[in-house]
Amino acid sequence: MDQNDLLENEHVEKILSPHPLSFMKLQSLCLFLIIWGVLVGWLVNFSEYKDLFSGNEWFPLLAWGLVLLLVGIIASLLTIRWSIFFLYLGVFAGGVGLMLSQGRLVDSGVFIPFYSVAVSIIGFLIVELYRRSHKYIISNLRIIFKGGVVTKRERTLRYDKITDINAKQGVLGQIFGFGTIIPISQSGFGLGSDQSFAAGGVELGTKKAGFLGIFGGGKEVQTPRARSYYELHGVHPYKEIKHLVENMVQENVITPYQQEQVAVQKEQVDVQKQMRDLLKKQIGSKEEQEEEEPES
Amino acid sequence: MTVSPVDVVIFAPLAPLFGVLLFWFIQLVFIESQKYLLSKIWDRHKPLCRFTNFLGILYQTICHALGYTLTKSGISNFYVSINYGKVAPKKEKKGMFEWMSNSFLFIGPFFIPAVLLLICFFLIKGSGVDIAQSIEHTFAEGMINFGTNLYAFSESLFGFLANIDLLHPAHLGFLMLLIFLGMGIRPSYIGEEKRRKVNMLYDLQNIQVHILHKPLYILILFLMAYILSYISVLLKTNWYTVLFSIFGWLSIIAIVALFITHLIILLIKTTDEFPRYWRHLPYLTIFLSYILMRIVFYFFPIDHLRTVSLFVMVLSTIVVVFLLLKYKTNKFKTVTKMKQLRVEDGPKRSIRK
Repeated sequence: MDQNDLLENEHVEKILSPHPLSFMKLQSLCLFLIIWGVLVGWLVNFSEYKDLFSGNEWFPLLAWGLVLLLVGIIASLLTIRWSIFFLYLGVFAGGVGLMLSQGRLVDSGVFIPFYSVAVSIIGFLIVELYRRSHKYIISNLRIIFKGGVVTKRERTLRYDKITDINAKQGVLGQIFGFGTIIPISQSGFGLGSDQSFAAGGVELGTKKAGFLGIFGGGKEVQTPRARSYYELHGVHPYKEIKHLVENMVQENVITPYQQEQVAVQKEQVDVQKQMRDLLKKQIGSKEEQEEEEPES
Repeated sequence: MTVSPVDVVIFAPLAPLFGVLLFWFIQLVFIESQKYLLSKIWDRHKPLCRFTNFLGILYQTICHALGYTLTKSGISNFYVSINYGKVAPKKEKKGMFEWMSNSFLFIGPFFIPAVLLLICFFLIKGSGVDIAQSIEHTFAEGMINFGTNLYAFSESLFGFLANIDLLHPAHLGFLMLLIFLGMGIRPSYIGEEKRRKVNMLYDLQNIQVHILHKPLYILILFLMAYILSYISVLLKTNWYTVLFSIFGWLSIIAIVALFITHLIILLIKTTDEFPRYWRHLPYLTIFLSYILMRIVFYFFPIDHLRTVSLFVMVLSTIVVVFLLLKYKTNKFKTVTKMKQLRVEDGPKRSIRK
């Protein structure tokens, strides 16, 4: 961090970036592409089931695409993120387009594994680029979240504005010692919501007149959630960082005793002010008397 | 040949039981040895040790949950982390049910992961194992049958492992499962933080306390074993020996898994002694030598190409490790250092010359 970016009396405690395995959700998408691509290659070329694919040159391509899209749909439904499905759809469409344009449909058993590995390597590189674009600066006054591959984002959070700290550590995080810390601000930044909705409908009367009724219900649960740019995502060593942030927050929060002390001091200042006013008044009246006496 | 009734009634049922106990103790020795090895590499490989902890606790917790499910206690809470696992029952049951669920907790991790491997093994292999038929129900015959069943299974398992095709997804998956289960087949773990001293008999103590807590239940289990044995005699079948042979098979699978894990941990421990970049060479050799051999044999096929490929892989890895030990470390004491000459100038002090 540039020295000019620091405030007066501010010093940097730690500069962090996410752990290489902290974006495993994204990396696993690439990993699946490799595994499935290689598996298709093995099934078509070496396995005991290779005769099943020799009937039509489109069979390997269809099997590959079908499973890819099916997994994409399941993953999208589970994570409530349709981007996974569209990503796999893009990979499939790209593969088909490339194969047709190059006239490699006959060699699909060889093309698919190589294409999958190549796309996955690109995927891994993009994830790594994305990971490296994150930078978290913990100073004695605030936390600065910086990031963005193309568009640069920055969030600054003063410790006295943090109301709550949410911390989570998955199994991989527990093994490798990293975790995510979400500081929730007074404005509610760092909070998301999980929504669930159920609806049903009935139709009465089937011949001429019909009556349609729809009923449903939903509920919303607030949960700590932020984009990886606005949280301390996958920071290592997790326990040490968590302890540091908690200490910083504690140091910047006024405790009840300190509040009491401030109130007493305020009261004293008020009393002193009143005394000063009284003294001023007394001095003023004395001066007036002295001015009046010589005249008389 | 005349068969003594005392042998049939009292001693014959004990034969496979002794066999199972013997293999179980061998398994236990391997487990303790693995714990010791893990504690040796703890400082440099914390993530690996934490991972093995997680696997151990996961199996233990699953076994405990299975115990609660089978005793119809239900599960109200299930929690697993890398250093702690907890299963809470819906209904607190006492007596036999509580004892059974605790048995799953203490003894289950020895066998239940191995059951999964046994099923996978039979599924991949696509054939079963020949079972020895009993002619006479005696102690000696029981021991021989138990041994024969174990031998037949071992022959089948080792035959499969010697011919394993690491480029076959199912075979590779089985090997990975074998390694993962090998890392987790232990009812206790070495903890989140390194323990200076690993308690070698910790699991046995747990089981001993568990047994001595309710000796009557052990007596009932023995009685049930005897009854099953008598039924087998009356029906002229070998169910009894087969049942205990399965436990023996499970022990063999667990021992094999633990042996492979031992080799991996030993390799990790040895490579730690190499300089920074050289330590990756043995791992690269494992993959490259096998793939190279398979490519060569693809163009020039020979008989037993999988076995030969495996053999070359193992041999080349051993050679690479020994060469690195010789030339990159001073393990064999081949690089002699000039001893520092010391001239004594008093009873306690010495001056370096």
